[in-house]
Amino acid sequence: MTVDIDKTAPEDTPPAGPEAIKAIPVRHYGRYISAVIALGLLASIIYAFAQGKINWSAVPDYFFDERILKGVGQTLLLTVLSMVIGIVGGIILAVMRLSKNPVTSSIAWFYIWFFRGTPVLVQLVVWFNLGLVFEYINLGPIYKDYWSDFMTPLLTALLGLGLNEAAYMAEICRAGLLSVDEGQTEAANALGMSHGKTLRRIVIPQAMRVIVPPTGNEVINMLKTTSLVSVVQYTELFRYAQDIGQTSGAPVEMYFLAAAWYLIMTSILSVGQYYIERYYARGSSRSLPPTPFQKIRANVFSLSTRKKATA
Amino acid sequence: MTEKVNSGARQTSSGAPMVKAEGVHKSFGLVEVLKGIDLEVRTGEVFCLIGPSGSGKSTFLRCINHLEKINAGRLYVDGELVGYRQKGDKLYELKDSEVSLKRRDIGMVFQRFNLFPHMTALENVIEAPIQVKGINRAQARERAHQLLERVGLADKAGSYPSQLSGGQQQRVAIARALAMDPKLMLFDEPTSALDPELVGDVLDVMRDLAESGMTMIVVTHEMGFAREVGDSLVFMDGGVVVESGNPRDVLTNPQHQRTQSFLSKVL
Repeated sequence: MTVDIDKTAPEDTPPAGPEAIKAIPVRHYGRYISAVIALGLLASIIYAFAQGKINWSAVPDYFFDERILKGVGQTLLLTVLSMVIGIVGGIILAVMRLSKNPVTSSIAWFYIWFFRGTPVLVQLVVWFNLGLVFEYINLGPIYKDYWSDFMTPLLTALLGLGLNEAAYMAEICRAGLLSVDEGQTEAANALGMSHGKTLRRIVIPQAMRVIVPPTGNEVINMLKTTSLVSVVQYTELFRYAQDIGQTSGAPVEMYFLAAAWYLIMTSILSVGQYYIERYYARGSSRSLPPTPFQKIRANVFSLSTRKKATA
Repeated sequence: MTEKVNSGARQTSSGAPMVKAEGVHKSFGLVEVLKGIDLEVRTGEVFCLIGPSGSGKSTFLRCINHLEKINAGRLYVDGELVGYRQKGDKLYELKDSEVSLKRRDIGMVFQRFNLFPHMTALENVIEAPIQVKGINRAQARERAHQLLERVGLADKAGSYPSQLSGGQQQRVAIARALAMDPKLMLFDEPTSALDPELVGDVLDVMRDLAESGMTMIVVTHEMGFAREVGDSLVFMDGGVVVESGNPRDVLTNPQHQRTQSFLSKVL
């Protein structure tokens, strides 16, 4: 994917070659009709929402409510920590699955099979109720407590989301590691690099190009999935919005508010993903796609030169 | 530059051979690729391996730095067994770290270059000296610049492999291998993946390297290179050595019927 940044040739100078063709373009009436229908549908939906018995003014009233902001923070915290658990666990599982040791690769296979095969909501509830199986948690002299005291809502949520995520990340990482040409490992080995160094310095940086885009997806998914953890009594954005909705008498409005916040957060994450992808694409394409800022700067620059030319 | 000057004057020491193979066998599953290879590569010589594809020449080359494990026979580099340690009459497999240690001294150049695409030419060259030998960065960079200049790419230090032509990539790959100061260089069909017009640059670098006294084993289809630069030549077919000797003799006057028919097709 090479993006041509070199669009310096101004469009208004006619080409020196033969005279350009000036023909009447074909009219695509089908396109006009479908555009009108689509706009009409959109307008009617917007009208329906505006007409509905929704008190829109409640949304800005509570948009920066202390509890909402706290919920946003909790949601972000949960997303980041769960993804850290998921990514670290995923890398370990991927390496285990690719190892030549049949025991570790089977264990990794079994883990992925189990955690990918059951709904995350079910897993969350199971973690929450594991106190029925283990009355105490006993790590010898280090730590001993009742399971129910040990399993705080935060820990339950983290384990539930993180361990589930590890199964997905394992498959993503495995695909990434397998995508790197074998010749790379061979070249590194021939230079005397150890397995660990080859993996760290040569294979993983190249695997990242394949790993980052689906991981970005996973982060966005995780951010939304955190709304499930209210079932284990953990309070984050969605739960706070619900609570406010019940006390303020605007329950549906608060759902819209939560949706807006989720959208804002996922949009910011998408931007971050773009820059990370760009970083790992270095060397893979001849010229990197410009960042939005570079695009703007290039446009402003060409605009100013054009002005000078006309002045 | 058609005739090699003083080929006899080059130091090909009479001491221990750099590589010695005794009855080397290698199978992939049920397919026996090497069926007992015996040969000796003297220190300082340019040793060419030729033969039809599938004859086992590349496999043999890869056995020398233990990228492939041999199934039978003995293979020595600089007097030491490759991949094993002998104690009494028992063989012990070497640990990965010990194998890596030995590979430092053997440079390898691949048919498909295998440069690290996420690193610039310079970073490719300094990677192993820094990571494996622990040389400090400034020193490694200085040496890398010298090496890139030697292969004629002083101005390409900051380019990524994708921005270089095949011939340039292969020369960076040679510089990368030389950065480890190897005592033996393995070339696995270094010009086979190149456009014909780019082959010459790579061969020039290899010729220069040969003249500096490097021990080189070259799997190649470039008969001209073998004739001009080679000190010894081996023709392999079907996993065995069919004919060997001085390249000029073997290429102009092959004794074996199989060699004759192969050369009549490629020359």
